[in-house]
Amino acid sequence: MEPTNGSPSSTPAAEPDFAAFDLLVDALGRWAPAGPAWPPARRVKSEWEGVAPRLDKARLELSRVLVVGVVGGTGTGKSTLVNALAGSEVTTAGDVARPTTINPVVVAARDVDVSWLPLDAMQARLVRSDSPAVANIVLVDCPDPDTQAVVGAPPAEASKPSATNRNRDLLEAVLPACDVLLLVSTAQKYRSWIVAREVAAFAPGRPLLFVQTHASRDPDIRADWRKELESQGFDVPRIFRIDGVEAAARAAAGLEPEAGFRDLVAAIDGELAGRAARRVRRTGALDLAAWFTRQARGDLAASGEPVAALAAGVETERGRLEAILARSIGETLRANRSAWQRLIADDVVARWQGGPFASFLHVIAALGSFWNRVRPGTGVVGRLLAGQSVSGAGAPRDGGWKAVEELGLPAGEVEQSRSVLAGLAARAGIQEPLVGRARLDDAAAATATAALVDRAGAWLSAGIDRLVVERRGRVGRPAIHWLFEGLFSALLVTVLVRAGWNFFHGNLWEGKPVSGIGFLEEAIVWVILWGLLLRWLVFALVRLGLDRDIQGLVGSVASSRLVDPLLADFSSAASAVSTWIDEGTRLGAEGDRLAAACGETPGLGRLRRSAT
Amino acid sequence: MVSSGQPAAPSFAAWAGSVAELCDAVDRLTPVAAALGVADASTAAWHGALYGKLRPQVSQEPLLVAAVCGGTNTGKSLITNTLVGSSISRSTPEAARTLHPVASLARGVAARTDLAVLFPGFRPVAWRSEADAVDAAASDVLVWREDPGGEQPERLVVLDTPDIDGTLRENWHRAELVRNASDVIVAVLTQQKYNDAAVRDFFAAAAAAGKTVIVVFNMVDWPRQRERIAGWLATFATETGVAAAAVYAGPHDFDAAEAGRITLIPLPELTPGGVEVPLAERLATADFDRIKRQAMAGAMRVVADPAQGLADWLDAIDRAAAGWRDAQRLLEREGRVQVELPAPPREIVWDEVWTWLEPRRSAVDLVVSGGYRTVGQGMSWAARRLGIGRTAAERKEDFAATELEALKRALADFIDRLDDACRRDERLGRLLGPRLATADRQAWYADLERRHEALPLVSDDYRTFVRTELDRFAAANPGMVKAVLTGLTVGSVVRPVMTLALFSAGAAAVPAAAGVLHHVLDFGVTVAAPLAGEGAVAAASQGIRPLIERLFAGWSAERGRILAETLHDVVLGDGVEEIGRLAASGSRPELVRARQLLVECSRECG
Repeated sequence: MEPTNGSPSSTPAAEPDFAAFDLLVDALGRWAPAGPAWPPARRVKSEWEGVAPRLDKARLELSRVLVVGVVGGTGTGKSTLVNALAGSEVTTAGDVARPTTINPVVVAARDVDVSWLPLDAMQARLVRSDSPAVANIVLVDCPDPDTQAVVGAPPAEASKPSATNRNRDLLEAVLPACDVLLLVSTAQKYRSWIVAREVAAFAPGRPLLFVQTHASRDPDIRADWRKELESQGFDVPRIFRIDGVEAAARAAAGLEPEAGFRDLVAAIDGELAGRAARRVRRTGALDLAAWFTRQARGDLAASGEPVAALAAGVETERGRLEAILARSIGETLRANRSAWQRLIADDVVARWQGGPFASFLHVIAALGSFWNRVRPGTGVVGRLLAGQSVSGAGAPRDGGWKAVEELGLPAGEVEQSRSVLAGLAARAGIQEPLVGRARLDDAAAATATAALVDRAGAWLSAGIDRLVVERRGRVGRPAIHWLFEGLFSALLVTVLVRAGWNFFHGNLWEGKPVSGIGFLEEAIVWVILWGLLLRWLVFALVRLGLDRDIQGLVGSVASSRLVDPLLADFSSAASAVSTWIDEGTRLGAEGDRLAAACGETPGLGRLRRSAT
Repeated sequence: MVSSGQPAAPSFAAWAGSVAELCDAVDRLTPVAAALGVADASTAAWHGALYGKLRPQVSQEPLLVAAVCGGTNTGKSLITNTLVGSSISRSTPEAARTLHPVASLARGVAARTDLAVLFPGFRPVAWRSEADAVDAAASDVLVWREDPGGEQPERLVVLDTPDIDGTLRENWHRAELVRNASDVIVAVLTQQKYNDAAVRDFFAAAAAAGKTVIVVFNMVDWPRQRERIAGWLATFATETGVAAAAVYAGPHDFDAAEAGRITLIPLPELTPGGVEVPLAERLATADFDRIKRQAMAGAMRVVADPAQGLADWLDAIDRAAAGWRDAQRLLEREGRVQVELPAPPREIVWDEVWTWLEPRRSAVDLVVSGGYRTVGQGMSWAARRLGIGRTAAERKEDFAATELEALKRALADFIDRLDDACRRDERLGRLLGPRLATADRQAWYADLERRHEALPLVSDDYRTFVRTELDRFAAANPGMVKAVLTGLTVGSVVRPVMTLALFSAGAAAVPAAAGVLHHVLDFGVTVAAPLAGEGAVAAASQGIRPLIERLFAGWSAERGRILAETLHDVVLGDGVEEIGRLAASGSRPELVRARQLLVECSRECG
């Protein structure tokens, strides 16, 4: 709705940072409601729900006339001032009873459309005025904040009129509709605690004008009021000093207004009307956004340290559990040296084809595998080494702890870690459902342990495969194969040559008797022994440096994130919360930057920071 | 009520004594109430009446305290200066400048009266200049000056007070302290402020405490607003319950105020009796005794108020203690952890028994049992060689590791239950929550590990315990030693199950060897059925079984004690004793006594 002397609404925002502000509001709109289920995030979210509509409104209704709320304690002359500005008695003023104004009065020029004002919710009455002072603004005569009983006061007796006084509640229903606050005070009320409290609650994002009334009766307290306002965190460019009664009388009599009142009207016209309205609205919105991010950051700053402590705690506990797991797996692997050898040797042998030594080894391996079937591998590591499947190793009934304990990670250690982390999480205010219980219930434990066992199985078998392939490369080379074949065959050939010489030369040629079956029996024994010696040599070759390689494998426990599933809820909660905090900090800095870059509104006051 | 409230002389002394004793009882209950989480009573009306009025004034010369009170910048200091006839408190055009009460006394009063007692909460300092009242560097002082003119009535004290509605909340508090001590209040109102909530609350409390209130409407646009005053006063009276003893009007006169002058015009049409007396004269000629008695009776009425008085506070203590008893029951129910310790290496207990038996055995026994031993050792040697057995040292190591893990699991379970209890009971959350949330939990486990490390498998305590138990058994059953042998030869190992509980009175008896246990952290050991040799032991005698169970239970209890110690010393600290104390505080004798005294005091006061 355009003001009468309106700037065309098609004029693009001349301010260079308007797009950046839009982006900031959008980013805040994504960030604030998307916080994790964490108390500070919930506070930020509910704060945002109060701020977001105002920011939207400021963007959508950029060129609407400004709504100026006249606020202040009872008896300070709000209604008198409104009457003076409106040029006639539009609202009841006086000293007959306190409070005088119960229902707010909205004063607007005849041609200003105020259909968008929620008059019903404000319980307000609309009055039209032709006064030039209100030609380009909407003026609201607000109820006072001081006559309603203070919250927490003992319940008033029903007979008291004040028991039904809801002026402050009404004020709090009116102020959200206001863009600018015109704070009216007197020598008696400029240090009122309750007025200060109410104004502080509504001042963020709302530029202010300060007016001392009762100028003809009261001393000039503007210097002291300015000090008081500044101690409450306000920027106070100027304070007007007027006498509302006199101004109203002069207006009624058609006389020239006196200087103070003229200044006020000029300021309203210059700072709040027409094109200035856009700047005021935008500055107010920016201030509000910056205010919101400042409050949010203040709230989050205190929570940052415990969240970081939780993240660090997750790392510490992960490291502790990994060390336990690594030590235990390393011990098991070293203790199962023979299983390793068998594993690797079997693999090597399986690939050696042709040649008597290969055949010899195959026979031994066949006997060995029979033995293996008699003694299946125990434990997850044992089963892996024995080439058996590990999935489904843990019975879900006991939460699958058995399999994890077999791997070498006692449930007690896991519970210790989770209990420690639960303490850190509690300090950071992070609780269910963001993290699980310190003691996993059976279902959760079964999932976590199954994941751990699967990971451990995959990691171990990959590691073992790697070692096997490496060693196969060392032992399984054709040269080595043929060397061993040669060595083994050498004895075989010697025996055969000797037996053949005996038979052909000795027996058939020279007619000596056959040396007998005894020689062959002995020869077989020696061939077997020679074969076993060579097999032992193969194994020794395989075994060379195995301990070091196992150490290397175990050292990779940390990089394989084996225990992550057991602490997943804590680590993801910590990272979700800190990511969210970081994003808030970034947006806050952006808000500060925009607010700092944004031009001042020289004639208007604003709330810069919370009262110290 | 005023005349009936006049206590006769002997009963006045009794009353004064009861008030003093009541204050003592409340003093003793105050830390209890704070610990129980009962809301701080120091701002309650009854507290102000009891400590600000009754206690200081029952034993002192009955001075009449008149205080000038009102909102910021309404002219309190100016009116006080006019009342006392000279400028003792600086009057400024700026608001909320008077930070400290200023008292004007008759000559000689300061020497006779302990002002620190009369005005609790303040440090009395002698007046130097009118600037004392606005000295921002001082805090909680009460400035006093004896009237240099000597005209002030001997028993009258007139005070200027800080404001009751400004942004400095300390000022409100100081004004309330002065109000509590006063008998007469000069309520300074203006047309802007007479119906402000803060102003109403302040004077409503004065009216409820039976104080005599004189109303001054200041800064009146005289005479234009003269006829308005009746309406303002009516609103004020309805809202606050104040029945003004007299009403004055101070016409607005900026120049006079600048010069430190103010005229107070009596309004006989609004004053009961209709007499037209200047304010200073009215104060000087008032019936001091009647006003004083009325104020004391009013204060007593506030203290004895059944809904918002002292009784309510005592009830709150009762309720809070009952809440703590609930919390204690919750802990008793939830704070109970079952520890399944691993079966101990059998030789740990048996070796001790053997040592005891050695001198008591016949040659045949020695041969037989020696045979068993040899065979047993041979078998275990073979098992070790085959890789399916473990050495004794390895078994002990295994046991220690499994045991530590079981203890850690129990500790984790316990902490989890405590966390849970704290979430479910807000009181527990307040008391134990910070400890649970901020403590370094790693240190708890480290502590448990340290204690476990330091505990020998068999302690001297336990040896003594075994010997005492066996001696007792042998003395009671002389023929049974042989049966013991049978049982021991077969060997039975029990699997101990231990229960640690907070506040549990019914835990199983703990063997003496377990040492001195803390009375709130109780634990009991029960034993599961023997794993081996049960038949033999049962066959030998029913009498041995309890003995064997006790021997094992005693050993396990000693193991479990380290968990109990960690829980008590490191995790809970004195939190659990504190809960016990709080739960018991509902039955403190001071509570009963305070109730009796309250009844006595209000009866004696009429």
